[in-house]
Amino acid sequence: MPAEPGPRADIVCHRLGKVFAGGIEAVAPVDLTFEAGRTTALIGPSGCGKSTLLRLVAGLEDPTSGQVRIAGLTPAEQRRRGAISVAFQDPSLLPWLTVRGNIALARKLARQSPDPRLVEDLIGLVGLDGFAETRPAALSGGMRQRAAIARALATRPDILLLDEPFGAVDELTRQQLARELPPLWQPRGTTTLLVTHSIHEAVMLADRLVVLSPRPARVVSDIAVPLPVPRPADLAETPEFRALATRASAALALGNARNAPMAAQ
Amino acid sequence: MTRSAALAPAALGLMLLFAGWSLLAMALADTRVIAGPIQVAGWLAGNAGLIGRALAVTLTNAAIGFLAGNLAAILLAGIALVWPRLTHAVSGLALVVFCLPLIATGPILRVLLGPGEAPQIVLAALAVYYTTLIPLMTGLRATPAVWLDLVRSYGRGRLAELIHVRARAGLPYLFAGLQIAAPAAFLGAMVGEFTGAERGLGVLTIRFTRSMDVSALWAIALLAAAVSMVAYGAIGALARAVLHDRPPVILAPPGIGTGAGFGRAVHAALLVVLVLAVWWGAMEALDLNRFFAKRPPDVLAAMIRGPDAAATRGALFEAVAETAVFLLPGYLAGLGLGAGMAILLVLLPGLAALILPVAVALRSIPIVTTAPLIVLFLGRGAAGTITLVAVMVFFPTLVACLHGLRQAPGQILDVFQTYASGPLRQMLHVRLPAMLPALFAAARMSVPAAILAVTVVEWLTTGRGLGSLMALSASTSNYNLLWAAVVVVTAISTICYAAVAMLEARILAIYAPEQMRR
Repeated sequence: MPAEPGPRADIVCHRLGKVFAGGIEAVAPVDLTFEAGRTTALIGPSGCGKSTLLRLVAGLEDPTSGQVRIAGLTPAEQRRRGAISVAFQDPSLLPWLTVRGNIALARKLARQSPDPRLVEDLIGLVGLDGFAETRPAALSGGMRQRAAIARALATRPDILLLDEPFGAVDELTRQQLARELPPLWQPRGTTTLLVTHSIHEAVMLADRLVVLSPRPARVVSDIAVPLPVPRPADLAETPEFRALATRASAALALGNARNAPMAAQ
Repeated sequence: MTRSAALAPAALGLMLLFAGWSLLAMALADTRVIAGPIQVAGWLAGNAGLIGRALAVTLTNAAIGFLAGNLAAILLAGIALVWPRLTHAVSGLALVVFCLPLIATGPILRVLLGPGEAPQIVLAALAVYYTTLIPLMTGLRATPAVWLDLVRSYGRGRLAELIHVRARAGLPYLFAGLQIAAPAAFLGAMVGEFTGAERGLGVLTIRFTRSMDVSALWAIALLAAAVSMVAYGAIGALARAVLHDRPPVILAPPGIGTGAGFGRAVHAALLVVLVLAVWWGAMEALDLNRFFAKRPPDVLAAMIRGPDAAATRGALFEAVAETAVFLLPGYLAGLGLGAGMAILLVLLPGLAALILPVAVALRSIPIVTTAPLIVLFLGRGAAGTITLVAVMVFFPTLVACLHGLRQAPGQILDVFQTYASGPLRQMLHVRLPAMLPALFAAARMSVPAAILAVTVVEWLTTGRGLGSLMALSASTSNYNLLWAAVVVVTAISTICYAAVAMLEARILAIYAPEQMRR
């Protein structure tokens, strides 16, 4: 967590839009509020602009319209407070640092005091005991993803942004990570935004699903996920889970259908 | 494969080289052009004091030049990183200075800096900074964007990027540059000693060339080769210890191929203005004597407006034509043979294990220091000069092309193998296209090296061409002609380098577009 606990970290996007050079509109102006302490999944087809939306929230991209405010501050101000952590699709571990070094680096970058105990705890929590002194090249894809998520958690962020954090791992590992990792941030009340194109993953992890249309990203549907937390693996077999997944799937299909005539034009 | 097992073919290759040398020396004993291992060892033992003192002087000059040149390179790379708009100016100015003919800058530095070691040190620094600057500029920019995003995601700026990511990510590239720079510093110091120093291996080389002492020349050349190989190997070992992996092979310089035709023309024009301003400004600021240190208007007068302008132009034109006759065939032969040998080694992997370590070792040798030997062996005519230029170009081309051939995408080779395509077909359709970027990178970097080689041979032995003209005008204190020659050689070298770079950019755009985006 940043040096001083921040106020309730609602993320408010007001008419937020992004048009890239060359006129490619990635995000149509959207109004969205992500409530503090909740996990919201942004789901949509590949290339729809959901990662761009996440980068806008992180302040890693400048919006071409609208603005983002996190507890009243700009993303840049929140980043300077060390309040934001991002786990990228690519684990982006520095190859010359060990697992321990990579996780500790986050605190250094966020200008937080070293906390070796927290780093060791995180290594254990993400199941990398015995690999603390291993360099990323010697880790499997799933282990790198775990290390990257541990790094994102090392600053105890108010805002956690996860950009398809399980994108590069096999299905079994993906499901395992989706089960094991949320308990690391959920009890802390961290405001979490998760970008994914997996409906199963979204329903398993999130309190709310925001379904986006193909590019430019527009909100097609906003679905609450009133399932209990923590969520065991067999929750996916329940009618409630299936109903939510079916609803999200239908919303995705609807978004595709709505955008099809625009794409044809 | 263990390290000792991997070294076995290299040791065998070196032993074969040694045996071939011994046999050749015995076979040609009557011609007095090759000294065998026993003669060389005997000469070294008998002159240990002399050679030891000379080696210490040259090594010290090379080491100081190495340090100064590399610090300058690191500083320039840092400036280009912090102010990206200066990248073209920094790399362009650096290229022009790199293309200065050492044969001419040596005597000029000697009259400006006086007797002593300073000119050799400056030449050593000039010989190394470019080979470090280019890889370092590439390395500092080759950082994956996502690593920089990570730093930015914690609200940190360019300084944190440099400290936590870029500096470390650029380290392998720095080592790659330093590895090439170590032999280059030794070469620079020796060439500096050629141009009127009082002590050092270069001075001994001149003396023994004049007295035709074959054993001494072989001993000095082998000593220079050994020192260069040790320095090359030591920096490679240091890099492996620090980095845990091999230094990368750098092909494209930063910014290559960027900008359209008009943009390039503007950059070139700005570069000319910058070079003239730095040249003139430095001379005025240091208040250098106008007799030795000519300003741009002096050179303009000497070549165009002055009373002897026609004679100066005639002498320069004749010298350029004489040099070109040796330079072009040697340059093209070196490129062709280097690429050809690389292809052969890939088709015959057994041979590669034997030859490659020797070739990599020989690449580190400052070939110019062996100029007297090659000319002694092949004569003062075209054959000796062309061979020296070809040898100068051959080794870097061979190593770069081998790297390129091995970069052929494995999955595409797998596709060919599924259709039972043989090695030749794979070579033609997959490996050769993958090799082209490396071939053109070697062609580009070889331009100044080839010009250095040809001018050194012309100066030391043949008495013709630009090398001889520069040496003659330096010894007769004809500084107008000397500076005019410097301008002409530097301009030719820079233009040829830029021309090859433009061709290279077209090749990269097709065969290695990822290198254009660095």
